[in-house]
Amino acid sequence: MVDWNQFPPHILPLLKNHNALKNLRRQPTIFKDTSDFTSIDYGDIIHVDNRYFLVVGYAKEGRFGIDEQPKQWVPKVYDLESGERKILKLVFHETFTLALGDLQVKCYRRPEKESQVLELVRGNAMFMQGYSALDEVGNLVRILDIVGGIRLDTAIGRLDCDQETYMATHLENILRRFQRAVEAIILLHDHGFKHGDIRRDHLFIDREDGHYRWIDFDYDFYLPERPFALDLIGLGNILLYILGRRNFRPEDVLQHPDMGERVLQTLDMSDLSLLSRDRVFNLRKLFPSMPKLFNDILLHFSAGTDVMYDTVSEFYAELSESIQQVYG
Amino acid sequence: MGDAMADWHNILIAVDEMESSLRAVRYVGQIARNVKSVSICLLHIYPEPPPDFHHKGGVLEEYQAQRIARAEHIFSRCLEILVEADITRESVYCITNMAEGKTISDTLLEVRKKGNFGTVVTGKRGVSKAEEFLFGSISNTLARHCNDFTSWIVG
Repeated sequence: MVDWNQFPPHILPLLKNHNALKNLRRQPTIFKDTSDFTSIDYGDIIHVDNRYFLVVGYAKEGRFGIDEQPKQWVPKVYDLESGERKILKLVFHETFTLALGDLQVKCYRRPEKESQVLELVRGNAMFMQGYSALDEVGNLVRILDIVGGIRLDTAIGRLDCDQETYMATHLENILRRFQRAVEAIILLHDHGFKHGDIRRDHLFIDREDGHYRWIDFDYDFYLPERPFALDLIGLGNILLYILGRRNFRPEDVLQHPDMGERVLQTLDMSDLSLLSRDRVFNLRKLFPSMPKLFNDILLHFSAGTDVMYDTVSEFYAELSESIQQVYG
Repeated sequence: MGDAMADWHNILIAVDEMESSLRAVRYVGQIARNVKSVSICLLHIYPEPPPDFHHKGGVLEEYQAQRIARAEHIFSRCLEILVEADITRESVYCITNMAEGKTISDTLLEVRKKGNFGTVVTGKRGVSKAEEFLFGSISNTLARHCNDFTSWIVG
């Protein structure tokens, strides 16, 4: 049985009626210190910023093609006063090495950086919203709004049409919205911040008006001479995905019913990605009707390129110009 | 005559621990040995510490002291080369800077401008396109930005 006297009276009405408590066979704990996030469980309460958040689940680690793992440092919570649903991000410092082909980059999970970015983009609809507060022992907890909408890649995947119809019907709208999302990344860079983890599953389409919104800013990486290079690579990868609706590795080309050996034979190393050499960036070899201007942007990220983008602003300028020329 | 030509003998050499830096210093030594009014600045720029440095308890002053010690070791090797090439010790001086909130290239260009150096010299490491994209190339950046000065890139 739950001893309700352990909890402040003003949270009891919502706490007693929540499903998370109904089947709980233990006394929920109120955590004011979130250092050991692995000990915080479903049905427990996190007390931060003078708010009581009931843990009702965990965000999942999004990895393409791999079963998603719950992230214990990212509990989904329910505000026991307002009834709002939020996501908390608890402090988890992590360092790992990212392999890009033969090259390696050291990456970091930095709560402080995410907190600063949240401060910068407060009220900006192109970014996930939230704020930070310190728990009782000084851990920087981020209190985030739930992003209402679906992932860009999921939305593209749901479009049930062939590539030609996609390019004729949907691509312009997607590119114009992506253009604005790129502009938002320039805002971060202008203030000295990286996004840090630009991937197609970190760009959401707003449920209300369809604008794009970036999420997850806690990654950082150490590239002193090219601080924004990985953000640039991320944008190139998303553009590739938007234009081709998926990534094509050479084996995918071979297995594709409309391509096969005939198209595969036209490819060489220079058509693959500059860093990982695992996917085709020269999409015009797969889709000859792909506008050359868009393909030329992709080629900046290919192994055959002689000219690379130095900044996201350069990428943005060419993308904008190409959209203007192709669609008017 | 433009500024770059007028001040060409005011030479800035960007050095690090790579062999390509020593080649650049040797090259300058051979060129500058017969120039009367030559002034050579050996510049070593190091990056800020990595993002987790402070979280792991790192102390910035200690990091800087280590980097400065490393720079002095680099400078002593470069000075030996220049003195061997008959460059007078008095015409050479050294600067160590941390690239604070900017890239090493940008810091180099800033020092160049501030010191009114007409010639900037660096060694060329020879990196792949992928390495250049990810890690950058000081020599390529110099080549792109040498509008009002002369850049010598020594291969």
